[in-house]
Amino acid sequence: MPSERRLHPATLLFDLAQHIKRFAVPAVLVMVGASRSSGGPNGAFGRVPDGWEMWLLVLLVPAIVATVARYISFRLRYDDHELVIRSGLIFRNERHVPYSRIQNIDAIQNLFHRLLHVVEVRVETGGGKEEEARFSVLSQEAFEDLRAHVFRMRAPLAAAAAHDKPAAPLEPSGETLVHLPLPELLLCGLLENKGMVVIGAAYGVAWETGVLDGFWEGLFGGTETIGRGFFRAIAGVLFEGQPLPLGRIALGLAAGIGLLLFVRIVSMVWAFVRLYDFRLTRIGDDLRTVYGLFTRVTTTVPIRRVQTVIVASGPLHRWLGRSTVRVETAGGVSQQKNASSVREWLAPLIRNEQLPGLLQQVVPGFDLAALDWQRLHPRAFARALKPNAIVAGVITLVAAFAIGWGAVGVLVLTLAWAIVSARQYVAHLGWAESDEVVVMRSGWLWRKVTLARANKIQSVALHQSPFDRRAAMARVRVDTAGARELSHRIDVPYLDITVARGLHARLAAQAANTAFKW
Amino acid sequence: MSEPDDIADGQDHSLDPRVIPMQRVAGGIFAAIQSVALLVALIVALLAGDDLDGWVRGLLPVAWLLLVVLSGLVAYRWPVLHYRHTSYRVDEVGIEIRTGVYWRVVINVPRSRVQHIDVSNGPIDRRYGLGTLVLYTAGTDHAKVELAGLEHGRALRIREHLLPSGADDAV
Repeated sequence: MPSERRLHPATLLFDLAQHIKRFAVPAVLVMVGASRSSGGPNGAFGRVPDGWEMWLLVLLVPAIVATVARYISFRLRYDDHELVIRSGLIFRNERHVPYSRIQNIDAIQNLFHRLLHVVEVRVETGGGKEEEARFSVLSQEAFEDLRAHVFRMRAPLAAAAAHDKPAAPLEPSGETLVHLPLPELLLCGLLENKGMVVIGAAYGVAWETGVLDGFWEGLFGGTETIGRGFFRAIAGVLFEGQPLPLGRIALGLAAGIGLLLFVRIVSMVWAFVRLYDFRLTRIGDDLRTVYGLFTRVTTTVPIRRVQTVIVASGPLHRWLGRSTVRVETAGGVSQQKNASSVREWLAPLIRNEQLPGLLQQVVPGFDLAALDWQRLHPRAFARALKPNAIVAGVITLVAAFAIGWGAVGVLVLTLAWAIVSARQYVAHLGWAESDEVVVMRSGWLWRKVTLARANKIQSVALHQSPFDRRAAMARVRVDTAGARELSHRIDVPYLDITVARGLHARLAAQAANTAFKW
Repeated sequence: MSEPDDIADGQDHSLDPRVIPMQRVAGGIFAAIQSVALLVALIVALLAGDDLDGWVRGLLPVAWLLLVVLSGLVAYRWPVLHYRHTSYRVDEVGIEIRTGVYWRVVINVPRSRVQHIDVSNGPIDRRYGLGTLVLYTAGTDHAKVELAGLEHGRALRIREHLLPSGADDAV
């Protein structure tokens, strides 16, 4: 099929809009800044004639030229085994992406895309910081075409299953594994607590533009009543026996609770907009998620590309009998944290009863309940306590310098915390093996269970610190592809040395005996 | 020597013993540079610090001398410890590397997970006929696994042995 395709003509429009958007924010800031701080007859902009803002548009000319050049030069071709992308008018670039290396295909449709029936498509292979190919924008038919090509070539077995899917574009028609109705969606927002992020962003914008000037004073009557003054009053009560400022405390508490509630509500709105109509479907051997109220996102991850599965739950999740499930793929350990962290979601919220079924889909024959959880070394608590105790000691020392004998109270509190958290840490840490999966769980309040299949293990390492050697213990670490910076790894500390050696040897043998497929 | 089978013998091997003099030379050069840099700092401090107490002025050169002796000792002694605690084993399925004098690590890399392999040798390596084997996997923490101080030819043969054989698509 050597016929070449272009992008959808709407590309011109969106590219240009992109440039204008990038250009508009600084431009608006410049204008606002000019009028607020340095405008007027004495400001730096005072001598510039009125209407100078219009001249800023000249800066857009190179952007227009670049947009047109990109559209004219961009070509896409489906070869037998690879995707060929040609681009560039002056500096020509031809990129070949073998179908067999493609990890996942993501599609994003914002409101305008939807109006024009086009999608922005990202193709990712393993490794690399950025997506390998970005098609902005393709028509929906072209997107279906791309997906059909890539997936048929890559997985001949799945072809039969993929073929009988009707040509309804972007409407997945496989078996629905997870669907979030409205109440679940709001609950998810409540539990995820993304509110602070949204508020932080909004606050930043408001501060930049000066909307907030006078807001705080209006609300609290100057910064001295609350904040420094408020805490000074509390300190006065504690150390100088001044009367308790009940009114202020009540106000502070109310403000705190109000803020918390507000944050949660914002988070629910975020979930509603972002994850609206979340649906996970299995089509052939691929997992496809579709979600979003305004911007529809479609992601496709082949099941065999799943590197690790992470099931997480906070205290509220457990109280309500829910969990969240994420997967990690080797593709796109991307800079855009938001985009990638959402893409990994298999289920932002799932009832615990449904969890085994979902995991079965990803790892056939896997039963979370039947796992034989192994504990740590009996003396692990003593080991785990030491670093905590050191932290407690340091805090106490600092407190002793600051408040003198009151530090005894601090010592009691921090030591109690050290003991409880070490005990809970050890109690909840566990690992398990089954035929082709290794699983680790950890966490007391916020619990995580990570499972990796043997054929996704890259290397196995056994670590022994001097402390480990003295206690005849060791730590076993499993390295997989695509783990994020802070993601939960399979990394089991405080194992008896013989247990650790056995685990290490078994995992290494298992990994060696299975062929790794990306 | 030529047949690749003797590489994958499943036995623990130490590094090439020449790694000890090699690392001593490298460590010695480093210690010398460090000592000279500290000496310059010392002279500057003595010249500029007129207001320092007499005993501090006396102590600084002694501290410098101690540091020089200490780093010389480490440069001389450490390669032996390192040599003693480093070993590797190559077999049909992969390679196991043990390193670390105090913090010990045993790492297993299956042959099927190796993405590509470098064998590098710097100027000092070349004098002693040594090379460093660098394995790359698709992993995260151990995406790059190094084994320094192999006889260069042996490093090349380990590479030959570990590299994925064409048809088996490991990538």
